Amino acid sequence: MNIICCIKQVPDTADVKIDPETNTLIRSGVESIINPFDLVALEAALTLKDTYGGTVAVISMGPPQAEQALREALSLGADKVILLSDRAFAGADTLATGYTLARAIQKLAKSGSVDLVLCGKQAVDGDTAQVGPGIATRLGYTQFTYVTEITDIDMDNRNITVKRKVEGGIEVIRGPFPAVLTVELDLAKPRRGSLPQLIHSLRTDITLWNADAIEGDPNKLGLKGSPTWVKRIFSPPRKEGGPIFDAQQDPQQAVDNCLNLLFADEAFATKFMNHRGR
Amino acid sequence: MPKNSKEIDVAEIISDKCIGCQICVAECPVGAIEMKDGAAHVDPEICIGCGKCFEVCPVEAVLFENILPKEPPKETGRKEKGIFADYRGVAVFIEVAAGKAAGVSWELAGKARELADKLHTSVTGLLLGHDVDNISREAISYGCHDVHVIDNPLLKRYLSRPYGQALSDLCKLVKPEIVLIGATAMGRDLASIVATNIETGLTADCTGLDIDEEKQVLLMTRPTFGGNIMATIFCENHRPQMSTVRPNVFRLPPKDPDRTGDIYHHVFEPPQGKLPEIIDYISNVLDKGAIDITRYSALVVAGKGACDPQWTPMLQEFAEVMGGVMACSRPVVEAGLMPYERQVGQTGKTVAPDIYFAIGVSGAVQHLVGMQGSGKIVAINVDPKAPIFSVANVGIVGDYKKVVPVLIAEMRKRVKGD
Repeated sequence: MNIICCIKQVPDTADVKIDPETNTLIRSGVESIINPFDLVALEAALTLKDTYGGTVAVISMGPPQAEQALREALSLGADKVILLSDRAFAGADTLATGYTLARAIQKLAKSGSVDLVLCGKQAVDGDTAQVGPGIATRLGYTQFTYVTEITDIDMDNRNITVKRKVEGGIEVIRGPFPAVLTVELDLAKPRRGSLPQLIHSLRTDITLWNADAIEGDPNKLGLKGSPTWVKRIFSPPRKEGGPIFDAQQDPQQAVDNCLNLLFADEAFATKFMNHRGR
Repeated sequence: MPKNSKEIDVAEIISDKCIGCQICVAECPVGAIEMKDGAAHVDPEICIGCGKCFEVCPVEAVLFENILPKEPPKETGRKEKGIFADYRGVAVFIEVAAGKAAGVSWELAGKARELADKLHTSVTGLLLGHDVDNISREAISYGCHDVHVIDNPLLKRYLSRPYGQALSDLCKLVKPEIVLIGATAMGRDLASIVATNIETGLTADCTGLDIDEEKQVLLMTRPTFGGNIMATIFCENHRPQMSTVRPNVFRLPPKDPDRTGDIYHHVFEPPQGKLPEIIDYISNVLDKGAIDITRYSALVVAGKGACDPQWTPMLQEFAEVMGGVMACSRPVVEAGLMPYERQVGQTGKTVAPDIYFAIGVSGAVQHLVGMQGSGKIVAINVDPKAPIFSVANVGIVGDYKKVVPVLIAEMRKRVKGD
């Protein structure tokens, strides 16, 4: 079974904040990690390889430093890693990213059939969940998003059965290879690398592909191929202890003040009334 | 202004302001900008001082003083509007599951009306499914001027490929300038397929939508970096401009069954190749007896200070008025007054309702970790120093036995009145 896993190097987002005083990004101490959902996808790929044999290739698009994420993938047991890095890829939104990754997968598919492509359901820095379906659509592969369990693989008939999260429940669905799966955190628990693998990872070359290598249409790559642009960024309203009203003298006044304040928040009032309206 | 060895005034990037979007990296004509530790850096010896990075930076992180005379602004905006002239109207995808429309679709119909009014255009419903005539009429009563429908047995249940093809086909046919889709499991799966098929921009999970009056384009605001930062995105040069929005972000518009509108039916060309088959569906709904407090949008939570069983019926009544249920903190379970399944906190359940009333809850850390994600927190406690007040959006200091009856009366008025 030949599996391709797509990973992204992301900042540890819990740490990224805007300084409310200066309106600048606080970067110090923010580490780069493999997107946690992608790490689960890699684990699932490695587990499938353990059972069914075959290879796991890992691709990542990013600046040269993303090499670090690919080394980690090697240390966990990936057979081959490819870094998609080129100035032409810079500034890519989800449409251009999906295109670039799909081109790389097509190139890999030329040297051996692809059965599965595994991705995290979303990256924690952008939370869009758009790249996985973008890849599946470009390649014409079966698309299963929000996968929580792989329940069956039928190598003879070349199909896969998964459980996936849908509105209000879980769907069990079967579809043909090749398939793109985007995975939830409950699918697998990532392993730790062993020392021999770590040493192996440091001695293995990382394949570097640029725009020419994937024969990408320059108009579909990076900023040029990205319809969406960031116009501005700002801090969300801060959450802290709000006003306190004293009800010991006048409960009516305190309750009025409290409810007026709550329902003055349009977003909250909307949510509350919508829920009650149903 | 720093100069390089060739005496050129070069650009400089303030790394604390840089959000790592890499737009400048792509824009730099000489490749002088590289990413280091998540921020862009200019190599002053390569920089030619053209100022392109300064112009494109969305967050003003580039320090550059443009000493060259400014080029007259290009009239591209107008020309592009010409290219997009045949894209008109705000479209809403109407999500159907088990024969019923998703509430978020109607919320979006309401928002679409607002946007359409600003653009002086109309609202179109895009409806896929099987036997959905009643839903197309409902769409009109929620504010759609017209509805385009593909009604086909193949669309009875959601499958990525047939739905992706059907909605892409409708978009190509109807040519709306904006398409709004609910950010449900189905909507997110579908939106990306359509955006890829028609090669346009898609912004996920928007919490704010507005129109840029001057450019007449959609401004899409969304949380990013795990909600720590908000970003406003636009999609100026592609149509339609697509956006997904989570349920309960926008207000449900009033339903008016007297509205009229046109309904158009279209033929469906099913996709080629073998399709996946749905084998089973397991509903999340638990046994009828047990109450799952995590599924309610309002919780009235009794703490150690509200342990008097005589007053429990009053709290229950309050929970009903709020459209929710009662929960409790650990001491209440230990006192045997409520079952464990109602306990919030580290050793109980983690909840995030829209509104959380903490009544007589002191606010120990173990309790706070289980409820800090709540939309609004209201604390009622006799002790003004109780830690719960530090996480509460609003606090009331006083005896809950006197406060809650007033809350019940006032909330009754609001629920009826609004």
